[in-house]
Amino acid sequence: MIESMSHGIGVDIAFLLLATLAVVTAWRVFRTDSMVRASFFLLVSFIAVGVIMILLAAEYLGVAMFFMMAVEMTVMALFMVMFMMNPAGLNPMNMVHQERISIGAGVVSFLVLSVMALLAVFPDRPVSAGLDPVRSLGNEMLGDSMLIFESAGLVLLTTMIGVVVLSSHRGRYGAATEGSLPPGLESGGDPAGKPEEDEDDEDGGHHHHHH
Amino acid sequence: MFPVLGVQGDKALRHLTLSPDIELVDSPRHASVLLVAGEIPADRFEPLRRVHDQLPYPFTTLWFRCEPWPHLENVTRIDDLDVLPAALVTAYHELMEGRRESSPRILLDKPPNPWEGAGDFGQGGEGMMGGVPYGRPMAMNMEDDIRDGLTLDSLTFRLGPFFFAFPPGMAAEITLQGDLVQTWKTQRAPYPQSLDPVFFAARKRLVPIAALELARARHHLYRLFHALHLAGLESASLSALRLANNLSTTSTLDGLRRYLSRSGFFRLAAIKGGELGPEQARRIGGPAARAAGLDEDLRSDDAGYRRLGFSPVCQASGDTRARWRQVLAEIDQSLQLARQAERDDVSTSEVDRIETPRGPWLEKRPEDASALLDEILPGQEWGDALATIASLDVAAVAEAPLDTQTTGESPITELSDDEGGPA
Amino acid sequence: MIVEELVLPVLMVFFMLAAGAYTVAVLDRVIAGALGTPQTGSVWIAPLARGAWLMTQHANATEAPDWRAWRLAPALYLSLAAIGLAVVPWSGSLVATDLVTSVVLWGSVEALATVVIFLHGWSANALFALIGGYRYVALGLSYILISMFVLIGVALPAESLQFTQVVASQEELWNVIRQPLGLPLFLIVGLGMTFWGPLNLADSADLAGGTAAEISGPPRLVWDVARAAMLVAFSGVATSAFLGGWLGPWLPGPLWVAIKMLAVLLVLLLLGRLLPRLAPERCVTLMWVILLPLSFIDLVWAGVGALL
Repeated sequence: MIESMSHGIGVDIAFLLLATLAVVTAWRVFRTDSMVRASFFLLVSFIAVGVIMILLAAEYLGVAMFFMMAVEMTVMALFMVMFMMNPAGLNPMNMVHQERISIGAGVVSFLVLSVMALLAVFPDRPVSAGLDPVRSLGNEMLGDSMLIFESAGLVLLTTMIGVVVLSSHRGRYGAATEGSLPPGLESGGDPAGKPEEDEDDEDGGHHHHHH
Repeated sequence: MFPVLGVQGDKALRHLTLSPDIELVDSPRHASVLLVAGEIPADRFEPLRRVHDQLPYPFTTLWFRCEPWPHLENVTRIDDLDVLPAALVTAYHELMEGRRESSPRILLDKPPNPWEGAGDFGQGGEGMMGGVPYGRPMAMNMEDDIRDGLTLDSLTFRLGPFFFAFPPGMAAEITLQGDLVQTWKTQRAPYPQSLDPVFFAARKRLVPIAALELARARHHLYRLFHALHLAGLESASLSALRLANNLSTTSTLDGLRRYLSRSGFFRLAAIKGGELGPEQARRIGGPAARAAGLDEDLRSDDAGYRRLGFSPVCQASGDTRARWRQVLAEIDQSLQLARQAERDDVSTSEVDRIETPRGPWLEKRPEDASALLDEILPGQEWGDALATIASLDVAAVAEAPLDTQTTGESPITELSDDEGGPA
Repeated sequence: MIVEELVLPVLMVFFMLAAGAYTVAVLDRVIAGALGTPQTGSVWIAPLARGAWLMTQHANATEAPDWRAWRLAPALYLSLAAIGLAVVPWSGSLVATDLVTSVVLWGSVEALATVVIFLHGWSANALFALIGGYRYVALGLSYILISMFVLIGVALPAESLQFTQVVASQEELWNVIRQPLGLPLFLIVGLGMTFWGPLNLADSADLAGGTAAEISGPPRLVWDVARAAMLVAFSGVATSAFLGGWLGPWLPGPLWVAIKMLAVLLVLLLLGRLLPRLAPERCVTLMWVILLPLSFIDLVWAGVGALL
């Protein structure tokens, strides 16, 4: 006899509160002007989703969600402040691009997802009472799906190493500040592969300061 | 208690560091009592007003050897150093028990710059760089980064004359890019520091070398005390201060030195960089120059010192670590010389060439060298920059020696009394 | 049932918070006094007097801070410490929450602490606070990996992510002996997480107090209590993970946990007073170049040990 997992009213209330929190903070992500606040609102939204996952008995995934999203959102906030021209929203220029397409895409995906949520038939497979979510997750990740996860992990590692190497100060032919260029074909000549110097193009290194 | 240091204020600071009832803090926001110690020159009144207003309610001020401002009521002035801790404790207790009203704010509680621009946040002007939010220009990457290619936005600000990590009275305008100092412009030189009277006496007549060397060691130990507090080694800084206060020919530096090297002060603490070139070293003179390899010490011209077998100690690199090793070596050397000189009863033999701990004193007293900071600090991270400032003795030497000035001087210290004596 | 499931754990956590923060304050004062700081007053009353003094101060304002984040950050840090304390097992059955994934929950506490401390610095809209916050993120991103590897190494012999199982797996041999690299690395992580002593890059002296430079009054009190509470939570987790939790002869389990936590706290507080503050650059280099490979080795060691 399958034990039907009946949950009390508390779980329902918790789910509704958390879902509202997730949606409201997600809306705030787009309405706030400051990028740091936007990433931390997104973090709150993810945390709410993580708690919902715990309610769904996916304990490991929910807690791992907290863990990963915290660091990710911090790094995202940092990167936005580092690279964006207007991370505080104090600049009057319009910081959104292609609004109409994205609004359209948003409305369409909302409709599709709501249709799915309302009309799809979700399976009714109550989780057995003695299930150990961590163990079963581990068996899945390192059993049937090991190839996928391990190769994804390796690819991520390679990407990270590649990024660090690419942004490193020391290049193959010297430090980046000395303009690392390969040595010339004749000694003392122009560096090999250097394009023809264009007088009009000379910017003096300030080309990245366009605002 | 937050101390604001005026001229000759560090004496009060050192006295208060060792008194058990007082806790000195580094930020005015953490304090309940503002101690103005030493005479504040008039051009630093504006920063003092700002610091005064930064203390949270309820707070009060105490003026030590400085005339209190007339519009402040209910503030006391103390001129005697020994009475100072008790007076502070009394002021604090009166404040806490409500018998003394909190000082009012001097400046208006308005933003210094109005919003400019049309929008809610000061934006909304014309074009891309429209408004001027809070009256400050938009943060942009103004200059290339000194370290690697990532240009962060630069922030220019003024750090005032009462910052605890600066020599008393120094103010600078600094441009930071992230953690890195990009430009440094000293705006106000630190107050001239007063040396021990024995150096002045040595200019007039022959003095026993023991007294001179002990005064020198004491001066260096006071600087070490300040730098160790900055580095986070509180117990070491207090033992340096105690050693300096009880300095005699029987004192030894070995314990402190062992502790410093074992705790990793030379390897771990933020004392990288800060090299002096040979020209800069010559300009500043003194132990900093000797740490950079310049082999000049006026004491080697003195017959008395030569009798004791004096030869200048030098280090090779001129950076902060080398300067601290040099200072420690010189303290050690001074103690040894003092011991020997007392035994053999040797005096100096010259009066017009004196080596002060700040630098050589030939015809003129050593001068202010804070322009040097503008040259060596850019390119260092913030912690290293402050450590470099702590290792360099840039203040000029004042005309009058310590303790002979009128009782009008007090350093301003903001004190925060957190718990008093009878808790 | 409500009493058992909700009220008792909450009471336990509150009690541990209060007692733990007070203990840390007293111990720190004792150590400072032993190392030469001039002090007066009884060492037991002084933290309470300081708390009373901070309550009477006004909480100050800076120019246009992010009020919600600024005022909430100390409370958030305190609640993170409370969550950490909630997973510490005091005996086989006496634990506030016995989550199946409590090790990962502690990891998320560490990660969220980075967020909270950065927010505390950033939202003050003041220069030194901002620098302190950013410096701390550099430190936080460095130690989080080390902490995770060390904790995974601890979870391997237990074959579970539950702290009660981790402690139970140490019945024959404590993890501090079985995995010798683990505890020193984890202590360094602990110093970093509470930015204490040598790793005090967030609230450092050269920033006039860093993220705490602009706070006064009750928020400062909450921030200091939160730091102390996080130290206590960390020592509880270190005790469970490496020192065998409630295991030990003669004395009852919870008493052993308390004794071991006190020992870890003493070590951390002593290290905080004896070592100078690291330069940020040196600290980050040290963590990525030396400590991270060491934690790899520790993990491999733990894995080999679990296989044999």
